[in-house]
Amino acid sequence: MNWYKNFDWITAFIWLALSSIGLVAIYSATQGPVSQFLPEYIQNNFYKQLVWITISIIIVISLQFTAPRTFSQISYFFYGFFLLITIYTLFFGVEINGAKSWIDVFGFRYQVSETMKVGTILAVANYLSNRRNIQSERLDSALFAALLIIVPGVLVLMQNDTGTALVLFSLIPFMLFWSGLPYGISLFIISPAIIGYFTILDLMWGTIAAIVISIVIFFVQKRPWLTVVSVVTNVVIIGGINFAVNSLLQPHQKARIVAFANPSFDPQGVGWNVIQAKTAIGSGGLTGKGFLEGTQTQLKFLPEQWTDFIFCVIGEEFGFLGAGLVIVLFMILLLNLISGAGSHKNPFAQSVLVGIVSIYLIHLLINTGSAMGLLPVIGLPLPFVSYGGSAFLSNSLMIGIALNLLMYKRESTIFT
Amino acid sequence: MNFRQRKRIRTSIRVLQAIILGITIILLGRLYKLQILDYETYNPLSKENSLRQEYVQPARGLIFDANDNLLVDNEPIYTITIVPSNYNQEKNKLLARLLSITENDLSERITEAQRFSWHRPSKLMAEVDFEIFSNIQEHIYELPGINHQIESKRHYPQELRASHVLGYLREISENEFQQSDQYLLGDKVGKTGMEWFYESYLRGTLGISYVKVNALGQDLGNYEEGVQNQAPRAGSDIYTTLNPDLQLLAEDLMEGKRGGVVALNPKTGAVKAMVSSPFYDLARLAGKMDRDYWVEINADTTTPLYNRSISALQPPGSTFKPLMALIGLQLGVITPDTKVFCDGAYYKGRAYKCTGQHGNQDMLHAIQNSCNTYFFSLMNKIALERGLNAWSDLVKTTGLGVKNNIDIPNENRGIIPDSAYFDKLFGVRKWGIGDIINLGVGQGVVSVSPLQLAVYGSSIANGGYRIQPHLVRGIRRENQSIPTHPAKDRINWLDSTGLGIVREGMRRVVTDGSARWYANIKAAEVAGKTGTSQNPHGQDHSWFMGFAPYKNPEIIVVAFIENGGYGSVIAAPIAALMMEKYFTGKIQRQWVYERVKNFVPKPYEPDEDE
Repeated sequence: MNWYKNFDWITAFIWLALSSIGLVAIYSATQGPVSQFLPEYIQNNFYKQLVWITISIIIVISLQFTAPRTFSQISYFFYGFFLLITIYTLFFGVEINGAKSWIDVFGFRYQVSETMKVGTILAVANYLSNRRNIQSERLDSALFAALLIIVPGVLVLMQNDTGTALVLFSLIPFMLFWSGLPYGISLFIISPAIIGYFTILDLMWGTIAAIVISIVIFFVQKRPWLTVVSVVTNVVIIGGINFAVNSLLQPHQKARIVAFANPSFDPQGVGWNVIQAKTAIGSGGLTGKGFLEGTQTQLKFLPEQWTDFIFCVIGEEFGFLGAGLVIVLFMILLLNLISGAGSHKNPFAQSVLVGIVSIYLIHLLINTGSAMGLLPVIGLPLPFVSYGGSAFLSNSLMIGIALNLLMYKRESTIFT
Repeated sequence: MNFRQRKRIRTSIRVLQAIILGITIILLGRLYKLQILDYETYNPLSKENSLRQEYVQPARGLIFDANDNLLVDNEPIYTITIVPSNYNQEKNKLLARLLSITENDLSERITEAQRFSWHRPSKLMAEVDFEIFSNIQEHIYELPGINHQIESKRHYPQELRASHVLGYLREISENEFQQSDQYLLGDKVGKTGMEWFYESYLRGTLGISYVKVNALGQDLGNYEEGVQNQAPRAGSDIYTTLNPDLQLLAEDLMEGKRGGVVALNPKTGAVKAMVSSPFYDLARLAGKMDRDYWVEINADTTTPLYNRSISALQPPGSTFKPLMALIGLQLGVITPDTKVFCDGAYYKGRAYKCTGQHGNQDMLHAIQNSCNTYFFSLMNKIALERGLNAWSDLVKTTGLGVKNNIDIPNENRGIIPDSAYFDKLFGVRKWGIGDIINLGVGQGVVSVSPLQLAVYGSSIANGGYRIQPHLVRGIRRENQSIPTHPAKDRINWLDSTGLGIVREGMRRVVTDGSARWYANIKAAEVAGKTGTSQNPHGQDHSWFMGFAPYKNPEIIVVAFIENGGYGSVIAAPIAALMMEKYFTGKIQRQWVYERVKNFVPKPYEPDEDE
């Protein structure tokens, strides 16, 4: 069999396309006219990214020579090893931008939590697929799988890296759902996020979302106890968020939430980033202001524009066509991977692919959602596009694993 | 894998596909809304964001004298600025030495600048001497972050003061600021004098320059090479009618006295000199104001800020008599030949004293001798036969008791009473002929300003025209001169017969009457009238109103000296010296000049109110 017929060219192509777009945007954000306001180590980010991309390509290619079995075999070791490093980081890590999630490796700064995501996916997928049946139908298995995610999630949260922790936690509904967790319970698990989001926007919307979700849960699952729990939880969430926003949160925390819902509330303070980000994207128009021509980018109105706000750089300089292309590329990539999961016979591979998809999807949602003022600003990179070596390497690692699993799709069995 | 599991996987795939599609479509929709639908909102926002509008102050218009020489121009003042983020604190020692301040003072100033902004320029030291400025410029290469700003202040190149006429500038008030878009907070606007009256001309138009800035507010140079910048338009220049020699002389003569002098062209109303004494030094109020001086002139009991030449309220005394004669003729209560016998007083209920025993007086002689009896009698007739209001109406047509709308502020309308005024002052039916008869000699409830006397005197001098007194003869805007056209109206009731007699009488005042000692100059034939306004608070005030040449008047001078005594003693010589200067360019009678300079008004009570 010719390997190139089985190779997933779409995934590989999109991966490289997004990386190239990222390079262009990082160049503009660090090497353009704006460089005069940036310290040299940030100007060098473009070249560092080039190095990381080169390393990642080599790793992805190497991974294609590995047997797919290897991933499930090493999954627990991989998970355990990075869990230990995560704990190590918690005590001896380097703090950058308030998050203690970095370690020094031969002079390189490495963000362990990024790779922890890969280890978690592998371990959970392995756990859920190494018995005869798909496991999450049984709630005790589901709970253990969830625990596998919660442990690194809490550790990362303790490192003060909220974004990555959020990504880890979001693996729970996706992976458990895939492995057979009842629909109603799956919906119940993600319902706090949806209801919470709408409640912060507006109490009425939150209430409507809660009612709709409770009704859907009732009809999907027809288990009265679940519906009751759901309703109680929803009431607690809505009440809790209202109480938290109005009386519990520190003024600056409250300001961040209010600023997201209404940035003009404090245009010079917390709302500043949101307004500048929206202005950058909005002023790009259909075709953008042109490469290195974005005033918001080049006059340094955007914070962290090479990582968390890279989407604004693309939106401003390449307009709707450029920024829209990025989203469409992600959409094709994710749909392609998920259909790959659907047609895969091996449960481990299915679970891994679903986990990878969910991680990319959450990154895409939070990064572009923050930049466009849909979500509060949570610092998360846009996979392949944002500057960041460990993130790029980890995300590419997942691409490499996905490419491998998909390439050997026909040879794999339903058993592992 | 059983059927149920396969079905479950198919459904899960659909659900996940739906989630992916849903999220990406929401993101695309949001992107579409921001970039396509709201483009018009965000694009201008990004432009404003990265652009800072900076205002460029226009050069204030200049003020010229009658000979087209500068009276007021602008002088650069240098302000040293600092951008703290670029500044190197190790240079404190050098900078403090250059600024001639202590290092402590300097670091305090720098701290203050830092508190404003690290990245934007702040004023480090305002209005430094040119010497300090040039010292700093010499060392500027060693002083990163230090820059300068050149602003301007009013500068007065001539020796003369003309403080009340020119006026001073002060910071714009909150109220004025809100009424105009041509000012920034902290800008100076004219508060008095011509600077106030012609503010809208002198000001000019603010320029705008668009400067690119980054999020730190750092200045990145002109936007689009400055093509969109709007240059400021300099204010218009003001050409005044002030004769600098006369003005300077009048100020010299009035020094140490209180009062006002107005000299104008009786045919046009162009003011040649206008002095209110005491005056003040405008230069000390320009730029970074001399606060002590400001407090001093505000607290001064001699009220130097008060413009006596247009605001003083004093009875005109005998200078009023020529007008009385003309009104008597117009109201038909006398003819030029009507004679009144003066035995030293006029009796009506009580004795109204005259200055002498003049015997039979006709109009001409009554003016020449300034016979009070004649004018008491005349006022009595007017009041009885035509009424006070007929008199009051005619007086007001000559510019007394009304505003003459000269082009500087704070003009006082004075008092020319009518029955309503007396009703208000004394109460209805509580006043009588006794209050009126005094008015005939310019005493009692009547008050005028030097300017008003000059306006009324001009009508006699020019043959019956009411002139519009003015200080500005033209305005030049962008090399285009716009002359002003002051009005000049015929006062219909003034006829040439009456005017002839009155002028003859006034000529005789100078040749044979009260003004003959000091006002009868060789340079021109002067006609005039002295006046002494009775002052219950001290020595009488001294008036003189005179014009020359008698046959074809070119100039009228009114001098008013508080507590100067008789008009002939001090007011007449001052006016006469000015006329001498006007016609010959120099002072011919040095002894009169010495006399005026050495004259001390006395006695006056220090707490007397004006």
